[in-house]
Amino acid sequence: MNRSAPRSIDQYLRQLREELAGADAALIQDALYDAEEYLRAEVAAHPDKSESDVLELIASTYGAPDEVASAYRDTEVKVKAAMATPRKVPKSKLGAFFGVFLDPRAYTSLFFMLLCLATGIIYFVFAIVGLSLSAGFAVLIIGVPFFLMFMAVGRVVSLAEGRLIEAMTGVRMPRRPVYQGTALGFWARIGEMLRDRRTWTTIAYFVLMLPIGIVYFVTAVVGLCVSLAFIALPITAVCAQAGWFGMSGAEIFSQAQPEWIFDSGLAS
Amino acid sequence: MDDSNERKFQKELNGGLVGLVLLAVLAESDEDLYGYEIAKRLANANDGTSIFKEGTIYPVLRALSAGDLLTSRIVPSYSGPPRRYYRITEQGRGVLAAWKLIWRGTRDFVDRFTETEPSRIGHSS
Repeated sequence: MNRSAPRSIDQYLRQLREELAGADAALIQDALYDAEEYLRAEVAAHPDKSESDVLELIASTYGAPDEVASAYRDTEVKVKAAMATPRKVPKSKLGAFFGVFLDPRAYTSLFFMLLCLATGIIYFVFAIVGLSLSAGFAVLIIGVPFFLMFMAVGRVVSLAEGRLIEAMTGVRMPRRPVYQGTALGFWARIGEMLRDRRTWTTIAYFVLMLPIGIVYFVTAVVGLCVSLAFIALPITAVCAQAGWFGMSGAEIFSQAQPEWIFDSGLAS
Repeated sequence: MDDSNERKFQKELNGGLVGLVLLAVLAESDEDLYGYEIAKRLANANDGTSIFKEGTIYPVLRALSAGDLLTSRIVPSYSGPPRRYYRITEQGRGVLAAWKLIWRGTRDFVDRFTETEPSRIGHSS
């Protein structure tokens, strides 16, 4: 890399972010966090030197941004290959089709779809109440602080939602809120929060979660009901035919059953 | 040219060794350690310059943690973003013991060729 060596922590992090462009978002966040932890600790450990003096030596200790970026990329590939629990890939087409029954992610994802209705209602109410109260309070002195607090809480809740999604579906989500540094003052941090596109998309996400949650919930419930009903149908038919329980079901089933159940001699 | 060859060789060697060294450092430590602290321990053990770039230990720490060989917790810090403190797990100790055996075997094997006088291997004619 023939670009100029970074002379400040911000420059270093910016170069590292550029080097990692295109990588997984969670990986970029991890890498930036690690680098910032190290660089700030290194600067704090040398109070007699200026930040740029410390950064001058960084390439030989921590590594230049491109070296560090490639370390993260390499490790990510290796981790995916070696550390991730090896999923049994069924060889036959039949195995691949029915393999979903053995995949724990299938069940946690199903549970997540059901849960989405509950969280969706909570998020929706949170967003709508927050927005309407903010609008209502706007004329009062508590209006602006209330709105800022609503936005800040929204960011925390969205992080929790990310953790939930990662736990349930295995998709990587950000682990920590964006660190804004101690250099920024209180007002600058608030400005930063309001300028952050994610703050606003988060609120939109909360509102959208109600319709999405309803769709997920209905899909999951209908899918479960229909499949369980079809699984139970032949068993019920056989039991009813054998006279193990009567609900005048014999007639219903004899009309409802396809011919082959009776032909196979199960029913006499 | 020579320099880059050496660096490439060192980098290839480090691939698996970083994980081994990190597990060993954490197994010996009584307290939880965070990335910077571990990096400095490694550097101090080698006269202030670590054999591998300190930036490369962080992704490995995360990888070991993802493999349940380490546990981690986050502690706020005054100097920068919250720090992630690592501690070795029982599973990690088991893996470390196995890796140590592999490492000793590999080292002894390599030593057998590299430590002896050139005349003793190959043809001494």
